[in-house]
Amino acid sequence: MNNNSTWEFGTRQVVYGAIGAALYGALSWFTNFLAIPAAGNISFRPAVAVLIFFGVAYGPIVGLLAGFIGNTIGDQASGYGFYWNWSLGNGLMGMVPGLIMASITDFKAQNQIIKAVGWGVLGIIVGMLFASLTEMFTSGIDMATAITGYFVPTLISNTVNVAILLPILMIAFAGMAARRGR
Amino acid sequence: MLVTWKYRPRDTFIQRLDPRTRFIVLLCTIFALTIPEIWDYRFMIPLFLFSLTQFVLARIEWKEMRRTLFFVFILVFFIIGLNGLLSGRGGPSAALDPNSPIIYQALIPGTVWGITITISKLWFAMTQVLRILAMALPAIAIPYTLDPNIYGTAFKRMGASDKVSFTMDLALRFLPTFSRDLTITVDAQRARGYEVEKLKGGFVEKIRKLAPLIIPVTMQSTVTGEEVIDAMDLRAFDTAPRTWLKELHYAPRDYFMIGLGVVIFLACCILKWGFGIGGFFVPDFFTKFILG
Repeated sequence: MNNNSTWEFGTRQVVYGAIGAALYGALSWFTNFLAIPAAGNISFRPAVAVLIFFGVAYGPIVGLLAGFIGNTIGDQASGYGFYWNWSLGNGLMGMVPGLIMASITDFKAQNQIIKAVGWGVLGIIVGMLFASLTEMFTSGIDMATAITGYFVPTLISNTVNVAILLPILMIAFAGMAARRGR
Repeated sequence: MLVTWKYRPRDTFIQRLDPRTRFIVLLCTIFALTIPEIWDYRFMIPLFLFSLTQFVLARIEWKEMRRTLFFVFILVFFIIGLNGLLSGRGGPSAALDPNSPIIYQALIPGTVWGITITISKLWFAMTQVLRILAMALPAIAIPYTLDPNIYGTAFKRMGASDKVSFTMDLALRFLPTFSRDLTITVDAQRARGYEVEKLKGGFVEKIRKLAPLIIPVTMQSTVTGEEVIDAMDLRAFDTAPRTWLKELHYAPRDYFMIGLGVVIFLACCILKWGFGIGGFFVPDFFTKFILG
C-alpha cells in the first residue's frame, strides 16, 4: 500500500492532506456537542483517530497538513478563532505517527496495529504537549495549569479515541484496499 | 446538517482589509506582547483598545457571537484570571512579591498552605486578562470576517508553497462534500435504528458508537482521493508553478494597518530592551484604592 518515500511531497500528499484536513475539520465540528467534563474549553474529538490514521497511512507530510489545516477549519467552522499553537500541535499529532508509514505493510496485522496505536499516542503526547506548553507564552498560564488543565484532559480523551477507533479504521482500510487492489 | 461557515460578507473596514494584513497585524500584536514580555498597564491598555477597536469595527452581531464569547469568557476570567489571582504564576516573578499587602488569606490550620491573595496578584490577574483579550479579540473575529475561499491565496501570497496553499484550498472545497457524505451516512444509520442524538453509555461506549458514522465516511473519502489524484496527474499538477485565480492587492489602508502593527511591535521592543520600560509593577493608585 505504501510505495512512497516517507518525506515525499507530491500530488498524492496534497490530495490526502486536503482530504484528511476536511474530514478532521468536518468531524471535529460534528462532534463539538461532546465536551470533556472539567475542561470546558477543550473539545472531545473522536476525529483525532482519523487524523492519526491519515498520518499512518499516507505519511508525516499528510499528517502535518491534515492536522494543521483541519484544526484551523474545525475552529473556523465552530467560530472559535485562529490559534496557531493548537493548529501546529494538531499538525505534530498527525506528523509523528506518519514517521512509521513505511513500516506499516499490513493494516490488519495485530502487531502493526499495536505499533500504529503506540506511535499515535506518541504523536498525541508530542502535539498536545507542544500546544499546552506554548499556552504558557500565549495565555500566560503556569506550567501546572498547562499540564493539568490542557495537556492531561486532551491526552486522556485522544488516547481513548485512538485506542478504540484507529484499529477499526486500519482493518476497514485493509479490506477496502484489498478490494480495490491499490 | 451542513457545515455552515460563520463568515458573512459585511461592508466593513475590517473586511475590506487584505487577509494578509489581518494576519500580519494579529502577529504583530501577539509578538509585541510576548517577545519583549510586556506587562506594563500603560502599554497594555492602548494595545487592548487597539484590538477592541478592530473587533468592534468587524460589526459582528451579538446573536452570532454569544456562544463563542461565552467560552472565551469562561476561559479568560475563570481559568486564566483565577489562575493568576490564586497562584500568581505564569508571568513575571514580581507578581509574587512577598512584601505586597495581603487582601485575603485562608490557610489550612497549622500549616503555611492555603490561599493568599495579595495586591500584586490581583493586579497581575487583571493585567493578564487584559493581555489575553488584546491577543484574542482580533483572532476571534477572523472566522466571522475572513472569506474561507481566500485562505489558500492568502497563504500563497504570504510565502507558503503552491502545494501547501493548494492543500488548504482543496480542503475547503472538500468540506461540503464530506459534510454531505456524513449527512447521508447519518440518515442511512438512522434508518437502521441508530440515534446519534441519544448516544448513551460512558466515555468509551460513546466513542465506540460513533464508529458506524466515522468509518464509512473516512473509507469513502480515501476512494475519492484516488480519483482526484488521477485527475490532477492527468492535468500535470506539480510540473510547473501554478497561477491563482484570485488576486490580492494591498490598498493604502493595508499599508497603514501593517505600518501601525510594525510600529507597535518595534516600540514595545525598543522601550523594553532599550529603556527598561514595560515590565510588571503595581501602580500606587491601585494600592491606595484597594487599601482605602
